Amino acid sequence: ALELAQELAEELWSAGLPGDLPELEPECRSLLAAFAEGSAALTGCLGRRARPVRLCQGCHGHYRRLLAQYGSIARAVGNSSESHNCAKSILTSDRLQVVVTLSEFFNETWEAANCANCLKNNSEGLSNSTEEFLDLFNKSLTCFEHNLQGQAIDLSPNNYTEVCKNCNETYTKLNDLYNHLQRMNRQGGESAHSAHLCIDIEDAMNITRKLWSRTFNCSLPCSDTVPVIAVSSFILFLPIVFYLSSFLHSKQKKRILILPKRIQSNANLVNIQEKYS
Amino acid sequence: MANVAKKVSWSGRDGDDEEDGRAGETTPLLNGTGPGAAGSGRQLTPSSFLRIGQLTNVDLNEDIHELEREIPRQRPNEIPHNEKLLSLKYESLDYDNSENQLFLEEERRINHAAFRTVEIKRWVICAMIGILTGLVACFIDIVVENLAGLKYRVVKDNIDKFTAKGGLSFSLLLWATLNASVVMVGSLIVAFIEPVAAGSGIPQIKCYLNGVKIPHVVRLKTLVIKVCGVILSVVGGLAVGKEGPMIHSGSVIAAGISQGRSTSLKRDFKIFEYFRRDTEKRDFVSAGAAAGVSAAFGAPVGGVLFSLEEGASFWNQFLTWRIFFASMISTFTLNSVLSVYHGNAWDLSSPGLINFGSFDSEKMGYTIQEIPIFMFMGVVGGILGALFNALNYWLTMFRIRYIHRPCLQVVEAMLVAAVTATVGFVMIYCSRDCQPIQGSSVAYPLQLFCADGEYNSMATAFFNTPEKSVVNLFHDPPGSYNPMTLGMFTLMYFFLACWTYGLTVSAGVFIPSLLIGAAWGRLFGISLSYLTKGSIWADPGKYALMGAAAQLGGIVRMTLSLTVIMMEATGNVTYGFPIMLVLMTAKIVGDYFVEGLYDMHIQLQSVPFLHWEAPVTSHSLTAREVMSTPVTCLRRIERVGTVVDILSDTSSNHNGFPVVESNPDSTQVAGLRGLILRSQLIVLLKHKVFVERANLNMVQRRLKLKDFRDAYPRFPPIQSIHVSQDERECMIDLSEFMNPSPYTVPQEASLPRVFKLFRALGLRHLVVVDNRNEVVGMVTRKDLARYRLGKEGLEELSLAQT
Repeated sequence: ALELAQELAEELWSAGLPGDLPELEPECRSLLAAFAEGSAALTGCLGRRARPVRLCQGCHGHYRRLLAQYGSIARAVGNSSESHNCAKSILTSDRLQVVVTLSEFFNETWEAANCANCLKNNSEGLSNSTEEFLDLFNKSLTCFEHNLQGQAIDLSPNNYTEVCKNCNETYTKLNDLYNHLQRMNRQGGESAHSAHLCIDIEDAMNITRKLWSRTFNCSLPCSDTVPVIAVSSFILFLPIVFYLSSFLHSKQKKRILILPKRIQSNANLVNIQEKYS
Repeated sequence: MANVAKKVSWSGRDGDDEEDGRAGETTPLLNGTGPGAAGSGRQLTPSSFLRIGQLTNVDLNEDIHELEREIPRQRPNEIPHNEKLLSLKYESLDYDNSENQLFLEEERRINHAAFRTVEIKRWVICAMIGILTGLVACFIDIVVENLAGLKYRVVKDNIDKFTAKGGLSFSLLLWATLNASVVMVGSLIVAFIEPVAAGSGIPQIKCYLNGVKIPHVVRLKTLVIKVCGVILSVVGGLAVGKEGPMIHSGSVIAAGISQGRSTSLKRDFKIFEYFRRDTEKRDFVSAGAAAGVSAAFGAPVGGVLFSLEEGASFWNQFLTWRIFFASMISTFTLNSVLSVYHGNAWDLSSPGLINFGSFDSEKMGYTIQEIPIFMFMGVVGGILGALFNALNYWLTMFRIRYIHRPCLQVVEAMLVAAVTATVGFVMIYCSRDCQPIQGSSVAYPLQLFCADGEYNSMATAFFNTPEKSVVNLFHDPPGSYNPMTLGMFTLMYFFLACWTYGLTVSAGVFIPSLLIGAAWGRLFGISLSYLTKGSIWADPGKYALMGAAAQLGGIVRMTLSLTVIMMEATGNVTYGFPIMLVLMTAKIVGDYFVEGLYDMHIQLQSVPFLHWEAPVTSHSLTAREVMSTPVTCLRRIERVGTVVDILSDTSSNHNGFPVVESNPDSTQVAGLRGLILRSQLIVLLKHKVFVERANLNMVQRRLKLKDFRDAYPRFPPIQSIHVSQDERECMIDLSEFMNPSPYTVPQEASLPRVFKLFRALGLRHLVVVDNRNEVVGMVTRKDLARYRLGKEGLEELSLAQT
């Protein structure tokens, strides 16, 4: 970090600014350098773990460190003399405010990924339920792999029955655990947090489900079309019976006409219309 | 004695010197309240007793007698129900203030400060209307949300269970039975307890504001049944909404509060007694209707304009301002209570029962090239709306003729509920449109035959309350529905909604219309973006909104208020222009085929509804041809027995009686002196305000206007008033109770002229006089409402007992 600070000073020098100009205190300079390094590391981590998504598992350390670094820049106002106003000189003295933008970007990504959901409360390490889930997930993946290897001889694409039979237990467990986690989250979490689990879990589940029901075609629900058609046509038939029977059997409602008391001449409608035609 | 002077000058107006003189002679009679004066009146009467007693019907024309003789060989008088009838069941409301002596006395007694308090009370009542309407809306919303949530969870769990194991027909049966049983309860209470609570209630309120008294329409019982009925029919999964009934509920609340008592509960809080008459009540009812609209859609201005559009013939600025106040309070109450309920107390993000969600003008903005497209959608909406109305017309006619027994109505409602569930289930079952679950946007995702982690997209439309489906159609990202799903949904829902409207359940048509429109609008948007190879501006949500507006406009044909309601519900003013164009086109196109749904139902109910103007080709009709004659008149000092006989005559159930001069000399003409209402006569008989009793000092106190107000609005029937044989021979002096200056027209006045006077002033009785101020006829609402412009020119409706 010290080297970097040195480099920075040199750059300033070459840009025509005198090195001893109190533009940026050395302390701030080193803070800035640390932030730059941290964000580079985090970006690399996020990028590498984008597919399949493993953000929260792999990058939470980087993220926490970066948060601390940003915090020390922002907090530097209070803990030292007035000249050490790093927050002001780094964060707010230009239009672009790169450091703020970067930190905002990381925070937003972290929020959107909902990583807080599968980390422990102090965000050190994964929470127990997450560990459990990932464990099960790995187990089912190995199960898939295992059974597929055994079947590699006949590679007909639709013949995955072996997988379906053998891994059904693990898959169901995984699915149930996921649903359970989701329900817990929906109940426990406040509304602002929405009902999302953290992206790692969601993505893992998605992959497994896709494999299970799309690739292996394991979840074949029983389709009982015949009874459904029978029941629905029975229900749809009822109104026809009802209307027909009420048309045939119900007495038609009659209205009794009342004769108005009027002057007969001219009041006749035929006359009115004749006048106009 | 200002009132006497007034009378003299009034009778002098007819220019008949003889009559004028006679009025002067009889002026002591006008003081009949004092014992002495009444005594002098007493002396005059006995001589003329018998002769004039027989002359109750002032027959003035020879041809009337001819008419009466002709009656037996008229056409058969029993016919099946059709739309060209006027029911005798409906009476007018008394909007005309009776300026009798009691009224003048009261006005003199109440000083200026007291009128100030009356004004303040009006504001207080409006605030209370707003608050209570908002609370009722909250109640409906919360209960529906919980009960419907419970139902959908139960059915979803069941479906999920049986998808794996097989036996989905049981889920179908469960769903259908649940729906049918919930709707059965909702329909039972409506059919057997309060049939007037059926439907959306908007036609009824429209009639009320027009001046027609629909029996039971603003009672507390109706409100209770309406609220429960709406909850049950929405939970029962019918293709209905809870927004229309809010308008009715608001009106009932307004009518109840403004009277400061409930006759159903037999509680009188002794407040707001000043407002116990039709004129004042109507103003509050229009405020209540506005508050209802505003709570339903979060549209306070739309609510005010709704009242304006429906009841606009009686309007003034102060009233508008008060109504606006009530609307604002209503939406604010709903907003704050619901936000507390949803847990974010100061958020205020749910101003109405339905929120269209925010339409981001950046993403969903429109360009000028799209306006012709929107107008085309308006045309489609108009045609579909007309089709909807025509189908519903036939259905309603069938229902009135054949399904009039309450048990049949309940069975019908249950069948519709079961079929709705079945159709939904079959559609979901057959659909192969699967979409990945994205977070919590779908309330009850049904997987059914979709891959794990996906849901059936037909289920978002059918397996949900209609409000949520509408919002989903507006806001789900492009690609959430495939065109096939939308097409099938539109088709099915169109027929279901059409079939549902008019059932004996309380339910509105706003949301189903919006839903149909949103579905085909979205379909339209998708095909448009397909045709244009995915141009950016073809966001399907925007077209869903326009389609919804077009469909709703095509069905209900509201213009100004609907535009503003839609604008406020979307919270986007820039949509105002296209929505207006869409609604206009839809109305023009729709009106070419059939009229709006509400007007159609008003007509089918045989309500004597007065439109804005008389039929255009009716200028040659004169008051003489329009009026009813002969008129049952009363003399100014009348025998009690005669009054009782006239009132108890069931064949002529009149409500207003012209009061003529009680001159014993029958050769002289009996000029019109005033008009008295049935309700007033009943109060007089009840309090036994007879001339003889006054003489004997038996009357403890003079009648005040308060006595008339206390009896309002349910005046006892004449049968409940006991008049002994001795009392029948007494005399009753009507001069200080009658309205001394009723509106009159000459015989030669044309129909449009009479109509204008009648409609603009909200009259109930309009007396037709000849040039000697003799009563020749009476024009009432039914006489005017029977002329209508039909397909072949001017039509005349017939009166019928229903």
